[in-house]
Amino acid sequence: MAARIVRRLAGFLATLLAASFVIFAAVYAAPGDPAVFLAGGRDELTPERLAAVRAQYHLDEPLVVQYGRWLADCVHLDLGRSFKYGDQVADLIAARLPTTVELVAYATVLFVVLGVGSGILAAIRQSTWVDSAVVGGTTLAASVPSFVAAIALVSLFGVQLGWFPVTGAGSGLAGTLHHLTLPALSLALGALALISRVTRQAMADAAASDHVEAARASGIPERDIVRRHVLRNALGPIVTMCGLVMAGMLAGTVVVETAFGISGIGSLLVGAINTHDFPVAQAVLLLMVTGYVVVTTVVDLVHPLLDPRVREEARTA
Amino acid sequence: MNRNSRGTVTCGLVVTGLLTAVGCSGADTATTGGSPVDAARLKLTPTTPAAQGPVAKVNWLLEDEPDSLDLDSQGSSAGRVVLTNVCERLYQLQPDMTVKPFLAEKATTPDGKTLVLKIRSGVTFHDGSKLTADDVLWSLKRHADPDMEQSDEFTNVSTMTKTGADEITVRFKQPDALFTKALAGDAGIVWNKEQVEKAGKEFGTPGQGDACSGPYELTGWKSGDSITIRAYDGYWGERPLTKEVVFRWASDSALVNALKTGAADGTFAESPNTASALRDAKGLSQYYGPSTATLDLIPTERGGLKDPRVRRAVSLTLDRAGIAKSGYGGLVQPWASPVGSGAWGYAKPEFAAAQKQLAAGAPASPDADDIAEAKKLVKEAGAPSAPIVIGTDASQGRTVVANALRAALQRIGLKGEIKTVPTTQFEEFYSDPQARTGIDVLVGDWYISKSDPMGFYDNGLSDSSNNWIGFKDAAYDKKVHQALSTLDDAQRAALAIDVQKRFTDAAVWIPVAQVPSVLVLNSRLTGAPASQAYLYYPWAAGLGARKG
Repeated sequence: MAARIVRRLAGFLATLLAASFVIFAAVYAAPGDPAVFLAGGRDELTPERLAAVRAQYHLDEPLVVQYGRWLADCVHLDLGRSFKYGDQVADLIAARLPTTVELVAYATVLFVVLGVGSGILAAIRQSTWVDSAVVGGTTLAASVPSFVAAIALVSLFGVQLGWFPVTGAGSGLAGTLHHLTLPALSLALGALALISRVTRQAMADAAASDHVEAARASGIPERDIVRRHVLRNALGPIVTMCGLVMAGMLAGTVVVETAFGISGIGSLLVGAINTHDFPVAQAVLLLMVTGYVVVTTVVDLVHPLLDPRVREEARTA
Repeated sequence: MNRNSRGTVTCGLVVTGLLTAVGCSGADTATTGGSPVDAARLKLTPTTPAAQGPVAKVNWLLEDEPDSLDLDSQGSSAGRVVLTNVCERLYQLQPDMTVKPFLAEKATTPDGKTLVLKIRSGVTFHDGSKLTADDVLWSLKRHADPDMEQSDEFTNVSTMTKTGADEITVRFKQPDALFTKALAGDAGIVWNKEQVEKAGKEFGTPGQGDACSGPYELTGWKSGDSITIRAYDGYWGERPLTKEVVFRWASDSALVNALKTGAADGTFAESPNTASALRDAKGLSQYYGPSTATLDLIPTERGGLKDPRVRRAVSLTLDRAGIAKSGYGGLVQPWASPVGSGAWGYAKPEFAAAQKQLAAGAPASPDADDIAEAKKLVKEAGAPSAPIVIGTDASQGRTVVANALRAALQRIGLKGEIKTVPTTQFEEFYSDPQARTGIDVLVGDWYISKSDPMGFYDNGLSDSSNNWIGFKDAAYDKKVHQALSTLDDAQRAALAIDVQKRFTDAAVWIPVAQVPSVLVLNSRLTGAPASQAYLYYPWAAGLGARKG
């Protein structure tokens, strides 16, 4: 077991290191010159001034040297200072991360409850009008891009009806929930169809298995069969899918944050990329990769606990 | 510093691959619901009616979070809008764009190369300590440091010394007409030396104090959330009517929605399109004030518009009124010089008269005579056969300008080709000659921070890095240098008008329109200036309730 954890951890670090280099190279290769943004106003952009700025920020060194410099600082837990804000990158991220995490958590609760719920409903009432309505409804919801959903939700519930605030992330539990309801909903809508479809299919597969047939034949009530046999066997794929979607959301909040004027990690990243703020872009992207890897690893670890067959394989492996 | 780059409005190029997401919707696309204004009848007023009563709290919107509240290291207009209520300068820009001594109570010029500033007494910083001549001298030296934003304002300064208990003397290598104007900008901020030194590298970042003496003190900056300023109890001047201002930021549609629903009380709209989208919103008033900003076509080194006759022809043919109407909802005004009327901080009648005369070469709606004249000019010049490449980004206003230019070129028998780049790359046209090699003319904009047209015309000097087209005129250079060292306003105005004539005759740039500054304000409030002075004048101090 210990060996497995060490192996996992080593793989995790290797992934991060590789990702950090790829990200660094990508940011480095992005078109545009950060010196222009660092130099200030347009009338200061003499070639001498730009050269001085490049030297000051080490932008004139080769990629590998710059990456080495960044990595050395990183190991000392120093993510550097933002070019744009002049503030510590760690501070900038710490101030915005909670908002994005709250948003993703809220959206996750929504798509799990609604998606899994509607999937179960469709599976139990398979081939009835309920089933068709769920499949049709969720497909329709998924076909609306999140930014369109965001604009529609804002103009209806925010501007026209005034039920929800249109910008900001709010404060306190009630305030946060109130402010983040529309953004979380726009974020969750796209995932609904996928989760609901996976749930429905997993339930259908589980319901068709022999031991469920046997249970039915022995006269156990339908409700108990669904809960104890069908749903339990279907949980594996459902949880895996929910985990993957949630991990993907960590990197996908940008659009919704912009639409609702929320300062989270997503809008920080867009701003950083647009102004060539290397240290910030690098740190945020790496954070997103870390988040994704952590969530998928947790799903991997939980999977055997849910599905006895997988647990068997893990033991014999 | 003459030119501060506007914070580019960022449109998310999103990780998920969605182009032009929400960030580019709403305000930056079709003007939602706003009826276009007749640009010709747009009234520019520098102020709004005086406030009658106190207000406990005002929610203000910025288009972006300030980069930093240390304007020496990062000068962004968002930071300035906040800080101008918190920090004070040696001189002060007034709402009518004139400049007067401020923290320097009195200024004397014993000769053209000496400026003696007497520092106001009885002023305290927000930590209660007294503002002294030592603080002033230290601040001036900090602004003049080559690494700082404002260092270029000090090129003519030879020495700055403390010559009395409350006296600072600045000596110049040559007379500098714009120096006191710079002292009304960020080069004139007086910091509390002790506080800035104590904060060190962290100065100006969230969680730090403000080190200033203005009517408001900075009470908090929650990174990514909001900035709060509160009226300072120990302020030496008149106490503000508004007790507290909370700044938040949002762009495009989020900004428009926040104002529409009353979540925010006001904003100084950076883009005319935002104002346009809010024109008919209930409970909001709009005020338009003079600003120095203009929209211009800037010819590049590539040479498609190398011949001044061709540039003049383009200027004669461009449908400026059409651009104002369909590109900017009528909130910009056809204009014949590269500097807006907000730059007229002195000799206003003379500058206004000169502007009227220039209009002949830059008609709002060209008539048949203008077109005939333009065709003649092109014929004389020998029309260039290669298409003229027009550089622009995809924003609504610029797209309209680019298309209007292409239409104008066609009318005089030339070919135009539009090259659109993402907004992030657009700013590089200004800074990178390499980027400009692909275009003949840029759909640009420009503003100056000083209320003096001479703050602009040095861009036409033969050795200026902003003189892309390579305009060379010895007489022009001589007059510019002469004006820059002429301290007398009337004489400098005469020189400036002469210089302006030479610049526009050669059509070094082709002016399109002036962009007024726009104040959008909850109808229950009034009292803030509407002019570009909002960047350098404590606008919140005058803000209050319409009814007492």
